Amino acid sequence: MPEGENPRAAQAEPRLSDLLPAGGLQVVTIRSPSPRGRLLGVEAPHLPKGYLLIEARDLPGANRISCFGSELPILAEGRIAFSGEPVALLAGPDTAVLADIVAKVKVRVEEEEPLVNWESFSSEQVAAKRVASLGDPELAFSIADKVVERSYRAEALEHWYSEPQGALASFDYDKLEIRCATQWPYHVRDSVARALGTKPEDVVVRPTRLGAHLDGKLWYPSLLACHAALAAFLGKRSARLLLSREEDFLYSPKRAPEAVALRAALDKSGNLSALDVRMSIHVGAQAPLAEELLSQACLAVQGAYVCPNLRLEGYAVTTNSPPLGAFGGLGAAPAFLAIESLSTELAEAAGMDPIEWKSRNLLRKGSRLLAGDPLKEDTPFDAIAEQLCRASDFRRKWAAYELVRKRRSCRSEGPMRGIGLAFAHQTGVFLSGSGPNSYTVEACLDKDLRLLLKTSAAICKGGIADIWRQSAAEILGIPADKVSIAPPDTDGSPNSGPVTLSRGLSVVNRLVERACTAIQKRRFRDPLPISAKAIHRLPSSSAWEPNRVAGSPLESAAWGGAVVEVELDSWTLEPRTLGLWLCVEGGRIVSHARAASALRAAASAALSSCMRERLAFERGAISREAFLSYETLPLAEVPPILVEFLEAERRSPAKGLGELPFDTVPAAFLSAVSQAAGIHFTTLPLGPDALSALEDA
Amino acid sequence: MTFSFILNGEDVLVKARSADRLVDLLRERFGLLGPLADCRHGACGKCLILLDGRLAPSCMLPAFKVRGREVITLEGFSQTDEYADIKGGFEEAGLELCGFCDNGRILAVAALLERNARPSRDEILGELSAVPCRCADPETLTQAVAAAAERRARRLYHRARQ
Repeated sequence: MPEGENPRAAQAEPRLSDLLPAGGLQVVTIRSPSPRGRLLGVEAPHLPKGYLLIEARDLPGANRISCFGSELPILAEGRIAFSGEPVALLAGPDTAVLADIVAKVKVRVEEEEPLVNWESFSSEQVAAKRVASLGDPELAFSIADKVVERSYRAEALEHWYSEPQGALASFDYDKLEIRCATQWPYHVRDSVARALGTKPEDVVVRPTRLGAHLDGKLWYPSLLACHAALAAFLGKRSARLLLSREEDFLYSPKRAPEAVALRAALDKSGNLSALDVRMSIHVGAQAPLAEELLSQACLAVQGAYVCPNLRLEGYAVTTNSPPLGAFGGLGAAPAFLAIESLSTELAEAAGMDPIEWKSRNLLRKGSRLLAGDPLKEDTPFDAIAEQLCRASDFRRKWAAYELVRKRRSCRSEGPMRGIGLAFAHQTGVFLSGSGPNSYTVEACLDKDLRLLLKTSAAICKGGIADIWRQSAAEILGIPADKVSIAPPDTDGSPNSGPVTLSRGLSVVNRLVERACTAIQKRRFRDPLPISAKAIHRLPSSSAWEPNRVAGSPLESAAWGGAVVEVELDSWTLEPRTLGLWLCVEGGRIVSHARAASALRAAASAALSSCMRERLAFERGAISREAFLSYETLPLAEVPPILVEFLEAERRSPAKGLGELPFDTVPAAFLSAVSQAAGIHFTTLPLGPDALSALEDA
Repeated sequence: MTFSFILNGEDVLVKARSADRLVDLLRERFGLLGPLADCRHGACGKCLILLDGRLAPSCMLPAFKVRGREVITLEGFSQTDEYADIKGGFEEAGLELCGFCDNGRILAVAALLERNARPSRDEILGELSAVPCRCADPETLTQAVAAAAERRARRLYHRARQ
């Protein structure tokens, strides 16, 4: 929509693609052709005047950006970690000339055999490790009535965000201005300042429009901003680096694949008595989010179930693939996929329907957790299950489909249908202890009773900004249209941390409420204008300790469940989704319509990731064919999605719930397809291999 | 080569190389930033334009292919009553797009309503599948297009009565 047409245009950020500064430099990345080896050098032809080649040795500051405790090189120096790793930058005014020069540049690498295996790995590949236990698993397995073993696997996924990544660096008087679409403006600022060896205050980040990102723009924009800033700093002119969609697809981070092997013991009454978990997360090269991904996955792998005896061994494994990481959350979704899919199998082993088994084993008040203190409150899973069963007619359909499946002797006999149900929780808490630990929001009420909110999280979609407005207006008793939000510049707005794990709601909205409450308390005592600042500090007790998580990471969690119903085509065996139901307990829902819309959009993306999106690595790299053939689920194939909310008390805090569909829909889908086919599938997305296994069956 | 075509209702004369793509011509020569050059292989739908009234991906079109034809971009389309119907319908349904797919989705809806005044859910989502963006959910999109269709029908009815 052109600027000026959009009612939000006055506050909306421009798109990076539209920023075409005249007379500036264009920047292209020279990449390693090899996945692993020793970098011997970069050979470039004679460069025309106005063109420059930038290598690691040219950096005025540190050749490093830090992310959740990991350190990554800005340009490769000495070692090559993955195919496509940036080794140099080429900057100049004319893109056609740049393309000619790039074709002549040679990157010399002394190649070594790349590490590509991540399910069996050596100790040098371990970027993070978690070992934890609860109770006495050995004893529980030795006296178990039944033991079920299964390995699950979730593959890499492309974010397919709204705009390929990039950055524009230019000079604004005495400051270097960075424009880029990022979830974390202050990370960009600090990374650029460190790379240039300047003070953070000398750099100002003015975020451009973010669009749909699915956590793909968490830290990578900082790397590209460093590249653009280097070109601008050394070339003394504005510089823009904008990846093409293909380049972005091939080299930017993807969803980290996970493999989870589970061994579960059932006691005589069919209840879960022990669980043995071994998981490995493929974090690619350099492992920027390894600690956090692994911590979140370890918290999630217990799922919604009581398990008195638990043993966990988890690894984040590096390879010579591009860095892999977050996708609609930070690593929890594949863990939920594993435990929820297994729970359906455990129900079968116990001779119960899935609802009955799940209800008997759900977490309740006082349940011990592998990660964190025992639960202080009951979970709402019973109510969620009840609501989902009523809305989807789960019990009747599940029983009917079981009957049809058992009686079916060939494909043409009756429809091949299945229905699955899964639960999950969303914490909104960083667990690795290496993430950002302080978030700030400022508010100022002026003499005309207009409120200005300042937060670097104002890059959130308009709906969340409206929720902040509404929250502030309710507390101060002013109309919502008198609440405005300052641009999320690092110069004018305080650091509100990265926008991920729905923290725009779970953290920033609470800070807005606290700042407004502070103003309201002083409002009739002090003269206007009144300013207030609200700061949230991560409780240090929430971080992983060597063997457990202290504190209560589930204390402020949102809870949810999903039911998916599918039918397999009797000829092609392709699954078609007939219906999808979601039920969520997300605290106070400020706008039901907006929350439902966000959940449906996330559910569509989650369904797409189960059915269509396939991303294969060849010798650790993504091929061009993968780019050309990657497809998302067409909207026309998304079934009607019904969303219901469990009502919470009016004053209970709003919780982040946007990742719940990614945590619940895949497991529900896999259970549904498994019931329809009569085969236990264990890998998502369902690829041709799975369908051919079905054909054989 | 030099050629002319009708761009948003105006005759224009341009000089282009045979390898130039229409999307680059529109953005760089005419400053029309509605169409985005994103995937560059016709898959993302962000570069859609109306070529002689039909949807076409401008990233796949050599610029010279529009010689003597009519091109309407979002900027031109936003001057029409049809655009006001669609925009009004989107607002009525509370549809918030990301700011990147708006171009493709609005023009896809325009092309759909031109062919089919009362499209079904499947027809709406089938048409909008040409713009595979993750920012909006299918139900809100369907409601938004249905609201736009309703506004369009009302406007055409009133015009016919006048």
